[in-house]
Amino acid sequence: MKRFLELAVPIFSWLCGIILLGAVLSVVGYLFVHGWKSLSLSLIFGTTPPLDALLMKRHVFNGLFPAVIGTFSLVVLAVCLAVPVGMASGIYLAEYAGAGTKAILNLFFDIMAGLPSIVIGLFGFSAAVFLNRHFSGNIHPCLLISSIALAFLVLPYIIRTTQMALEGLPLSARMTGLSLGASRLQNIVHVLLPQSLAGVVSGVILAIGRCAEDTAVIMLTGVVASTGIPRSLLSHYEALPFYIYYISSQYTDSEELATGYGAAIILLFICLILFLLAFVIKKRVSYLALYRA
Amino acid sequence: MNRTNEKAVETLFFLSAFFSALLTIAIFGFMLALGLPLFAEGRFFAIITEPWAPHLGHFGISPMIVGTLAISSLSMLFAFPLCLGFAILISVVSRGKIRWLLRKTVEMMTGIPTVIYGFVGIFLLVRLVREFFDAGSGMCVLSASLMLSLMVSPTMILFFCDSFERVPSSYGKAVLAMGGTEIQRFLYVTLPNSWPGIVIGFTLSLGRAMGDTLIALMIAGNAVQTPGSLVDSARTLTSHIALVFAADYESLEFKAIFACGIFLYLFTTLLVITARLLGHRGERWAR
Amino acid sequence: MKTKLSAIFAVAVLSLVFCSSPYAAALDAFKGEKGEIKIAGGTAHIPVMKEAAARIMGLNPDIQISIAGGGSGVGIKQVGEGLVDIGNTGRNPSDDEIKQYGLQMFKWAIDGVGLVVNPANSVRSLSQEQVEAIFAGKIANWKEVGGEDKRINLYTRDEASGTREVFWEKALKKGDIAATANFIVSNGAMKGAISQDPYGIGYVSVGHIDNSVAPVTFNGIEPSLQNVKEGKYPIARGLFSNTKGEPAGLSKKFIDYLFTDEGQQLVAEKGFVTVK
Repeated sequence: MKRFLELAVPIFSWLCGIILLGAVLSVVGYLFVHGWKSLSLSLIFGTTPPLDALLMKRHVFNGLFPAVIGTFSLVVLAVCLAVPVGMASGIYLAEYAGAGTKAILNLFFDIMAGLPSIVIGLFGFSAAVFLNRHFSGNIHPCLLISSIALAFLVLPYIIRTTQMALEGLPLSARMTGLSLGASRLQNIVHVLLPQSLAGVVSGVILAIGRCAEDTAVIMLTGVVASTGIPRSLLSHYEALPFYIYYISSQYTDSEELATGYGAAIILLFICLILFLLAFVIKKRVSYLALYRA
Repeated sequence: MNRTNEKAVETLFFLSAFFSALLTIAIFGFMLALGLPLFAEGRFFAIITEPWAPHLGHFGISPMIVGTLAISSLSMLFAFPLCLGFAILISVVSRGKIRWLLRKTVEMMTGIPTVIYGFVGIFLLVRLVREFFDAGSGMCVLSASLMLSLMVSPTMILFFCDSFERVPSSYGKAVLAMGGTEIQRFLYVTLPNSWPGIVIGFTLSLGRAMGDTLIALMIAGNAVQTPGSLVDSARTLTSHIALVFAADYESLEFKAIFACGIFLYLFTTLLVITARLLGHRGERWAR
Repeated sequence: MKTKLSAIFAVAVLSLVFCSSPYAAALDAFKGEKGEIKIAGGTAHIPVMKEAAARIMGLNPDIQISIAGGGSGVGIKQVGEGLVDIGNTGRNPSDDEIKQYGLQMFKWAIDGVGLVVNPANSVRSLSQEQVEAIFAGKIANWKEVGGEDKRINLYTRDEASGTREVFWEKALKKGDIAATANFIVSNGAMKGAISQDPYGIGYVSVGHIDNSVAPVTFNGIEPSLQNVKEGKYPIARGLFSNTKGEPAGLSKKFIDYLFTDEGQQLVAEKGFVTVK
């Protein structure tokens, strides 16, 4: 019996490997086989000259340009909102909090990290409606609301990566600055943070990837099928992942569907590169990625 | 930098952490407050037991609760053995370049956006399932859970690998010293010592599978019925929110999606707490 | 691909030529304007809305028009709540809704809702009673209506859908829709689902019917534009754009544009019946 088990384990594990890799390769392969033909400059810019589009002289109608710009602005805004708060919280957790406070805060951030993104989207949406009713009729689900909601979504990753990077520093690194007469804060800013930069940066990159791929939050908080480049924080916007979802259900002809495949390949590339980068910078972020839901 | 500044910055750090933690409660509070009318009128049980038929005044979400549980647990049923096997492949069975390649592939897989699983699901998997089972539309519990299992697998694998690697290598030295193989060491030393990590990885992955919206929304069919078989169309709590959120804000229909939100919140929180408790017990156990 | 591109190019050139002469008048109203129009609601409207937006924004880049779907219910609620400027519906808003939000309705096209099956399905005609029984789940096999011995896969729209509302009222006589039915979120998606499922049946806006799906006659009447226009096909509805109160500014100009000759020609191009 034992002998059999010892023999079975490698066979079983190779079988699992083949099945899983086969499945993933067929997903990615299917996408490429059907989508590579649509990859071209006109996929992004449609019939508008690229330069005119980039300088925002003209609108792009049959290209992905507005969606790319929408996703880009979304990511930048959300990350800018989440990073200061997230890093500050992470620093507090790692460097200041007492054992009791830390345990409680840790629990909260774990719960927050586990929240389904649609729940956060629902929160953002109802907050927007609430504000619209009670404060200003100018507030609608929009780019700003989506960015705030996405910032909530990625806040726990940034907190966690900052915290873990700081906690992972050896005691000697911690003491040198202090023994030279640096204050606690000076030590954090000048010694500890620079040393844990890799961890923090990989967390930020993961957050970027997460913001770029999330669909559930934005579909409740202001993304639309068609609008062009967002003009202000309070306007609607387009986004790549939503475009893919939208096309998958609403395509009217095979050409439109082809742009959906194109968009999927572009988004896949963006996310893979970001995740690869995060892993290259810091090996153990793999662990944190699990906390996304 | 003087002392008051130090204090001020420290307060700022504290406020950030406090605000972030408060947010976690605020999200729950918001949903409770908005969904309250539904619970207040003594309708709590109606929500769990009634069917969903807004034109008849029934706002029960039980089909969606069942849908969520069915799809997520089924996906774990597919994913768990596969991921365990794959993790063993990476940590124990494979060597050198192949091990490195497998690990990199899995790391890359964590970056595949869920909407892409859904997208390919519609055009590839749904068609295959329909043709293979020859019943129904192919948009069903089975399709959704297969895709979900693929979606959660990379993180689950990495988690498993991690918990294998956490077992101190000194533990298994005796096995190797006595002429045992790597496989023997893994089976009799590493695996028994890493079970807390495996359970935690499983629990958190289940939370992810439950919380995912796009895959179920795109390929589970979204019928409001309690699924009776693998090839039945079903709707999850998450898809339900996505499908109904634009209803009239004053209507009970709209309030019902907050009930969905509350259930999702509670389910995932429960899983996180379970994982944490197991983690603590595991730590003590490992010592 | 080459021919396609050159075709697009030709169309672009032609439209430029035309825009500068007879059509320009319709778009003139938007010259020198600035601002945003937010549109949401009925999914049948989207092709017309998109094209109109493309023409307007192409002429005047200072105007931004955003178009979201969601269904007729969403259109009414969002315009009523003031979240969007124009809410589209594929059905008459109810008296309650009109009163509650003070809606102004503009019917700029007429559309039918046609039953569709996969082209591989041999069933091409159904009576009202059969349709009712099929959607209620009482007829569950294609063999009972003269097709293959296969289970019928039902596809219906979500509750916010005006298409569903009209179909439910006029084709199903407000009868039940079985819980086994798959829910689809738009007209485009319905077409996509039926074109992929050889044993599916669903309903779409007549304007969306093309050769990827096969229309089914209803009580012997083909769901064609001609029949809708002549009032022969019973499952018909207006396509409305609604505003909260009297439309003003850009919203008014946008709705006015839909009623110009150019706007109505666009309506016809996208497969609907014009109102003029």
